[in-house]
Amino acid sequence: MSRVDLNQVWKIYPRGNVVAVKDLTFTCAHKEFLAIVGPSGGGKSSTLRMLAGLEEISRGEVLFDGKVVNHLGPTKRNIALAFESYALYQRLTVYENIAFPLRARGMRDAEVDQKVKSIAELLDLESVLTRYPSGLAGGQQQRVSLARAFVRKPNVTLLDEPISHMDQRVRAELRARIRRLHNELGLTTVYVTHDQAEAISLCDRLAIINQAELQQIGTVDEIWNRPANRFVAYFVGEPAMNFIGARAESAQSVSIQTPNGKRVFRFNGELNPRYVNAEIALGVRPQQIKVLRKEEEASIPSSVKVIEFQGETTVLTMQLGDVAKSEPKAVVQATERFGIGEAVWLHFSPEIIHLFDQDTPILRRN
Amino acid sequence: MAGVRLEQVTKLYGRKMAVKEVNLVCKEGEFFSIVGPTGAGKSTILKMIAGIETVTSGKVYLGDRVVNDLPPQERNVSMAFETYNLYPHFNVYDNIAFPLRAPRWDLKLSQQEERRRIEEIADFLGIGELLERLPQHLSGGQKQRVSLARALVRKPHVYLLDEPIAHLDARLKFSTQTLLKEFATTFRSTILYVTHDYREALALSDHMAVLRKGRIEQEGTPYEIYNTPATDFVGNLIGEPPMNLIDGEVVTRDGKTLFNVGEGFSVPIREDRLASLKKVTRQEDGRAVTRLGIRCEHIRLSREKISDRSVQLPVYAIVHETGSSVVTFELKGMFLYARTGEERSLCDYCLSEKVWLDLDQDHLFFYPKPLEAPKA
Repeated sequence: MSRVDLNQVWKIYPRGNVVAVKDLTFTCAHKEFLAIVGPSGGGKSSTLRMLAGLEEISRGEVLFDGKVVNHLGPTKRNIALAFESYALYQRLTVYENIAFPLRARGMRDAEVDQKVKSIAELLDLESVLTRYPSGLAGGQQQRVSLARAFVRKPNVTLLDEPISHMDQRVRAELRARIRRLHNELGLTTVYVTHDQAEAISLCDRLAIINQAELQQIGTVDEIWNRPANRFVAYFVGEPAMNFIGARAESAQSVSIQTPNGKRVFRFNGELNPRYVNAEIALGVRPQQIKVLRKEEEASIPSSVKVIEFQGETTVLTMQLGDVAKSEPKAVVQATERFGIGEAVWLHFSPEIIHLFDQDTPILRRN
Repeated sequence: MAGVRLEQVTKLYGRKMAVKEVNLVCKEGEFFSIVGPTGAGKSTILKMIAGIETVTSGKVYLGDRVVNDLPPQERNVSMAFETYNLYPHFNVYDNIAFPLRAPRWDLKLSQQEERRRIEEIADFLGIGELLERLPQHLSGGQKQRVSLARALVRKPHVYLLDEPIAHLDARLKFSTQTLLKEFATTFRSTILYVTHDYREALALSDHMAVLRKGRIEQEGTPYEIYNTPATDFVGNLIGEPPMNLIDGEVVTRDGKTLFNVGEGFSVPIREDRLASLKKVTRQEDGRAVTRLGIRCEHIRLSREKISDRSVQLPVYAIVHETGSSVVTFELKGMFLYARTGEERSLCDYCLSEKVWLDLDQDHLFFYPKPLEAPKA
């Protein structure tokens, strides 16, 4: 069993009295892949460093398998660590780099050899074992660093932005390898990144941290479909969710004002009747908007302002025909061609509509 | 505004060839990107157009005029560099105002007109609040936008932009990219743009060139570059995950031509694709070898056999995107990616489960197999 609990954990840097982590409570279950994601300076790395024992915990408890480890140093926690900078020993061969944590515990040569070779095979490093790190490409060095982290079976694997700076080919490969290792070795993994797309690609659950506080924790589907606040709604997904000024019409419908009258949209779920006639924000994800060439029900006129080709898809920035002149984005298949200034209609189907009062989601879904 | 043309342009640093016989045409009002890995010679080309680097041989045209011997200040170009090059003792306002006040352009703007132009571009790029600050009090992303504003504030013949948004964080990068594209289409500006990030080039350009070791590997519209990469280098550079590139053997069995990698991966090639296959197939150790390229969205996956061209492979790992999943397969030490349109919860293949793959033969590419093994 390897389970990690944070129980009301705080990190306060005495100098300047900076609160880096505020009252953080969550669990990473046995064999779970949990990503901690958020903007830089939000407290992700401080959290990871407290888990690793590299940073003192100001208040609260970190538990491994139900046991408090606050007082244990990094070497006593049986964790594996890999960072963005590989931190390899330049004067040791790849083999000796991987063997290092085993030798440090006084393991016998034969056993070391067997363990190094089996992890090297998993990470495709057999052919470079006798070489030195400086002669390897960045992707290979990171694989060595991962091999060193995984070679003794750790309780918990902690990864801090291990692949965000790599080129896209290496990144695609290492993502697959990390996910494979996690499943095959039955690891419990906590992965820190600022890149929401990377977190989504790998993890079972996401913990979103901003301004020292946990914003939401849940599966990708939960966070995608039911963001806990407007920050989370905006942070996850690229391009980000559009917010359009709207008015609640009834418990089941919302309207956007245009110079030629209002456009009414029905939504799934129910709105507290006290919001009727209130000014609220309508949130729709660019990936879920349908762009129509002629007017239909539940659509609003707009024109194409900017076209950005992405390969498989195209991002359109719209000039919406509402009184506030919003500029939402919509993602379409690249095979659908549009021209700048072209008149189109945006269709919001009931299930894609989110509603917010300031920062708070106000739509109750069943 | 004027177009830019390069004719057989070469740049040597000592004996080192930085740019080799490059021809390119950026028409008036066009957004033209040069994309390539670090050290490919992208910035050198831009500097030769600006007049900061001399041209070893060949001709650089601005409009109809050869400018090889024209000093930079005579060329009427506006540049933004990856290193921001701001004047540290000037505040943001005066930094942006600098090109407007340069005596060479004799603009003689009134103070009100100068302020109007600076505030307009600063607000457009979201730095309107920073005008009184000194560069040392700005973040990297803010400095980069000041540098970009300074380049865009004037209306020169040509804008030369070198990685102008590379240092912005992801969200800001995408929004600034949209602004740049809006700027380009609104003012029909001639822009030459250098980047290592293929996504910027695809999104912004009317035309783009892929540069490799000082030579142009392919030139075309972003749509052409993405959908019909001329070489495996281009396929590898553009797209995430990049184009799948698989080396294999071409064999004939029962009158059918197969692309055979081993481990059960043996794909019959459709009749109408054989001509393009034969063109690049060569002999190696008595075998006919070639390299196959296919983008991850053109591989269909299923638990059932899809067609008589389907092949079966065990799943190596699954990673996700919002709204789709990428299933990875390992084949003789190479990774193969297939994107399914399915939501993550619907993509329920197990690790090591054998899944049928069907390659869309309309989107198959064949390239010569390189002489050395590409994989380290």
